[in-house]
Amino acid sequence: MQKIPERKKIIDEDTELINAINSGQKSLFYDLVKKYEQKLYNFGLKVCGETRDAEDMVQETFLNVYRYLADFRSESKFKNWLYRIAASVCIKKRRKSKFAPQKEISLEDFIPENKDNIPDSLPSWASKPLEKVLNDELSKNIRKAILLLPEKYRVVLVLRDIEGFDTEETAQILNIKPSSVKVRLHRARLFLKEKLKDYFSA
Amino acid sequence: MKEKNHDHKKCISIFKRLSGYIDGELDEKTYEEMQIHIKECIKCEVCLETLRRTVDLCRNMKMQGVPDRLRERLKLMIYDPSNL
Repeated sequence: MQKIPERKKIIDEDTELINAINSGQKSLFYDLVKKYEQKLYNFGLKVCGETRDAEDMVQETFLNVYRYLADFRSESKFKNWLYRIAASVCIKKRRKSKFAPQKEISLEDFIPENKDNIPDSLPSWASKPLEKVLNDELSKNIRKAILLLPEKYRVVLVLRDIEGFDTEETAQILNIKPSSVKVRLHRARLFLKEKLKDYFSA
Repeated sequence: MKEKNHDHKKCISIFKRLSGYIDGELDEKTYEEMQIHIKECIKCEVCLETLRRTVDLCRNMKMQGVPDRLRERLKLMIYDPSNL
């Protein structure tokens, strides 16, 4: 009988800690929580929108991690597995709420009809040093604009441009094709760019 | 546009690929073609740089702190076995 080859195990920065937890040192689970609670909470704020939902999502995610950590086979990085759980909890929560309509964003909406609509010089918000542009008020506005994105675009943008996952990892976390990640990301970025343009020209 | 007979269709095809350009996810030939066009076309450069800045702003936003009540909930969940 042909043997099914075992998938390659991925060793990452969390492997040692996870092995220790799985071998009985349950108290170390809190180290895992401390390491990821802020990141997950911020992910939840941007994807779920409401503070309470983000808090519930973090708790539910860690609860699932605790329950299923022994089954984690290290076939992906632990962080990617963690976000896979978190994204799925967020999506379930969003489906129960009426917060954002599930609509498509069309690329055509952003294509300038004629070239005269595009300025001939770089606006100051794109040319000044980043630290001179990015203040608390702008961050608040970016967060608001992200929440206006339909969920399937928003979650891709947050994973790619805020959490720093690459296309392949984002596709694995969301269980979609890498080509879908690219399409959604480009549209989400164009949407956000328009919101920023409006904000700076107001 | 710097040149008089500028091809707006080319600008549109570039516009559709700007994220791939920023992320380095294009093949070498497409990347080079875009690079040549963008050097010559201020409007495409504006589109590219404003999009690039949008991405940079997202990447550099500060994280918000975890509320104390969430920390308490998590501690309670971990240290009280009946919660798990």
